[in-house]
Amino acid sequence: MNLARLPRLRPTTALGGLVFVLFAMWYAASSQNNAAAYLLFFTLSSLFIVSIPHALLNIASLKATTESVKPTFAGDEVSLPVEVTNQSGKPRYGVRVQVPDSGGDEQAVDEIAAGRAARVLIRFPARARGEYEVKRLCLASAFPLGVLRATKRINCHQRFLVYPKPEGDPRLPPDRARSAYNRPRTELGEGDDFAGVRAYELGQSQRQIDWKAVARGHPLMTKQYTTEATGALYLDFAAVPGDDTETRLAQLALWIIEAERARRSYGLRLRGTEIAPSLGQVHFHRCLRALALFK
Amino acid sequence: MITKRDTRIPRRPLLWLAAALLFVLPPMFDGLAVWVPMLLLSAIATKFWMEPRGYRLRFLPLKLALVVAAVVAIFISYGAIKGIEPGVSLIIVLMSLKIFEAHTVREFHFMVMLGWVLCLCGFFLAQDLAIAVCIMIAFTLLTTALVQFYRGLAAGRIWPPLRGALTLLAQAVPLIVLLFLLFPRVTTGFRLLLTPNLTSAYGFSDRLSPGSVETLASSRSVAFRVEFPDGNVPRAAALYWRGLVMTQGEGMEWRSRDTQPAMSHPSQELRGGNTVRQWITIEPHGEHWMFALDRPVTASPGAILTPGNYLWSWQPIMKPRRYEVRSSLEMARQGLQPRERERLLEVPASISPRVRELAQSWRAADPGPRAIVGRALDFFQTQRFRYSLSPGEYKRNDLEEFLFRRRIGFCEHYAASFATLMRLAGVPARVVVGYLGGEFNEMGHFYLVRQSDTHAWCEVWLPDTGWTRVDPTNVVAPERVNLGLESFLERSAGAGEMSPGFTRTFARQPFFAKIRVTWQTLNYAWDSRVLGFDAEAQQALTNEIGLPDLRPVSLLFLSAIIAAGFVVILATWMQMLARAHPDPVQSLYARFCAKAARLGAPRDPTEGPVDFARRAGQFLPQESERIATISDCYVGLRYGREMDSAMLHRFAHEVRLFCSTRN
Repeated sequence: MNLARLPRLRPTTALGGLVFVLFAMWYAASSQNNAAAYLLFFTLSSLFIVSIPHALLNIASLKATTESVKPTFAGDEVSLPVEVTNQSGKPRYGVRVQVPDSGGDEQAVDEIAAGRAARVLIRFPARARGEYEVKRLCLASAFPLGVLRATKRINCHQRFLVYPKPEGDPRLPPDRARSAYNRPRTELGEGDDFAGVRAYELGQSQRQIDWKAVARGHPLMTKQYTTEATGALYLDFAAVPGDDTETRLAQLALWIIEAERARRSYGLRLRGTEIAPSLGQVHFHRCLRALALFK
Repeated sequence: MITKRDTRIPRRPLLWLAAALLFVLPPMFDGLAVWVPMLLLSAIATKFWMEPRGYRLRFLPLKLALVVAAVVAIFISYGAIKGIEPGVSLIIVLMSLKIFEAHTVREFHFMVMLGWVLCLCGFFLAQDLAIAVCIMIAFTLLTTALVQFYRGLAAGRIWPPLRGALTLLAQAVPLIVLLFLLFPRVTTGFRLLLTPNLTSAYGFSDRLSPGSVETLASSRSVAFRVEFPDGNVPRAAALYWRGLVMTQGEGMEWRSRDTQPAMSHPSQELRGGNTVRQWITIEPHGEHWMFALDRPVTASPGAILTPGNYLWSWQPIMKPRRYEVRSSLEMARQGLQPRERERLLEVPASISPRVRELAQSWRAADPGPRAIVGRALDFFQTQRFRYSLSPGEYKRNDLEEFLFRRRIGFCEHYAASFATLMRLAGVPARVVVGYLGGEFNEMGHFYLVRQSDTHAWCEVWLPDTGWTRVDPTNVVAPERVNLGLESFLERSAGAGEMSPGFTRTFARQPFFAKIRVTWQTLNYAWDSRVLGFDAEAQQALTNEIGLPDLRPVSLLFLSAIIAAGFVVILATWMQMLARAHPDPVQSLYARFCAKAARLGAPRDPTEGPVDFARRAGQFLPQESERIATISDCYVGLRYGREMDSAMLHRFAHEVRLFCSTRN
């Protein structure tokens, strides 16, 4: 057994109670010379001693790996999926998983069968925008008697992003970008007006496939829509009112959300970064990521 | 750490806890006021009604009022608040209130701890095997409650958590035994004033009055158990167990003279080789005397041999005790001082002239003591005396009534009247109280002597043989002496004196007899090996093993080392048991992948075996056929419906060849 890899044991408050009961048993047995009470005292102390290796081994052969975390907005909760694998040949019980110093709850797994894994979702609050890394996970268990808590720290490198908290004026800024383009453009995309059909390409949304045409025996075609060509909206950090960087970033985040919701093409201009106007989930996250990492 | 979602105790651990508390109750019903265990029972029942509805005792003044009410009720029930029964009652009452109140994890733990304390209390009230079994079951269930609590909702309702607890306890057994044998048994200086009352314990007193033995004769409880380690068991009629000698006669009533005999060694001649060694485990009777085969010639530790040749313990016997004693079946001849002789001839003045006349007539016929004894026995044999368990009431001075009118009595009547008559006739006499016979247990090879075996007999001092045993009951009812009381009563039952009853006949069935013998054997083992193991026994054991240092500190140190070593051994063993046995298919495939990686085609963790085989085949064209075979075998073995041993064999073979042919 590798001693360095052994989990740590910490007493719980219940251990105080147990020690008190043990002392009471010993005192009563010795003052009365009561062999039956002695037997009870030895049974309880032996039970406690035997529970030590059980508590250690319950945690020792567990492995935990993290999976990728979806970005969240500051003030929301981060959900970290963790897979706890039992690498031993015996089932393990009552395991609790926690991200230390994250301010989040423990998640309990009641049983992990031999050689199997269990998945838990650890939630903890996302404080401020930026990129973070979960460096350590903490596995703990008070099984079997609850008087000792075995804890084991597992290193991991799970990065995740926290976007700025969207706050400010929900009205989109006036469309000053239009001057850059002389004529209104028609943009194909996820608009409302039907513009015709085109041959289906792999990766396109299935929702836009012309299923009725497929039913009539035609090849797969996608319907094309256009958005009302109001021109691209440039969200410029420099143009956001206010002095505080965080407030301005919050305002930008809100506008990005509003623009995406209104299906208006938007671009982002930060110090040293420019993202060309577009629409869609990929673009949306690219913009918010830029905000999150802004220095 | 207690998280917020744990604010209710789950139902399953609570059920186990309740079951444990039910098993704690039997000793409580035995020794406490009935309402106390009833309160606990109703608290448990109510809890299961309250818990799903979210009710609990919250209002602090109400809690305090209930505690005060409980203390008052205990005071009223026992008339005291100190002592063992009120103390235990108080713990039980607090436990009941706690059950009403408890709702958090911390309180659940508290209740389990209190459950363990109740187990301890149970052992203070009673210690016999039946109670011990109950308490050990309760202990196991308490452990199960904890294990269940920390298992949470893992699969399995009853057996898996119970198995978890039993595994823990089974692994603890070697350590329990070692600690039991080696943990220092120090007696703490300050003694708790907890003296269990022995009202339930039976035994005779230092006063033999008409009817005193009678009450014992109907008791089935165990007085003591005897083993003969050397195997020389005396015949049944010689199994006179000497208890107490009474030298002060008042007609039908006899008394032991001293409450504590003087510290003087009786005159004794130890006849070498002719002694019977016995190991006796005595049940507590709250008095000082200890029993031994008539007559003991050695004193046991903690006891002396009194002038009357009986064993006297310095401490009253409050717990089962095991001791060794040697007895000589042949009476050693002893001298008698004139002053002592005078005392042994004292008779009360109240004895009627008719009785005196009877004794004088024997003496007049032949003054030799032996002749007098013979005449007296003749008198009992020929004058139609009857032996009965219910002879009716006699008073202290009813000697004449007994000897000339009713002529019906029990052993105590015969012994008392015979000894008085001997004294009247000028022969020094005394009464001995003890037991006669016993039930042999073939499984455990020991004699079990019950309270119903109580017997009283006489000893007369004869010039040539010294103190000589004379049992007048023997001439009145020889079957009593030869068969034992129970068989004697059964025989008499035919004569309509006493009906044996259905249960007794039922209990005579061979199957039940076997169960009874087994239970008795276990009981004996519990009493003699566990309860009788005290500091002296421990010293004897450590001497036998040859431990050099016997101070409590070194024994404590030794116990700690044993416990630490035990943890290491157990942990290593458990680690070996828990080692996963990898799937042979998986490990062979892993070997194949490792070889492929060495050759420059590492497998991507997300790559399926078929895709990998295709890629590796392209990378290693000369091996592509073998790679395809390996991949096919792997897919077949891993995802196929059943294990094909021929395929596995081929798979192993191909994996082995995979690298070697290339090199």
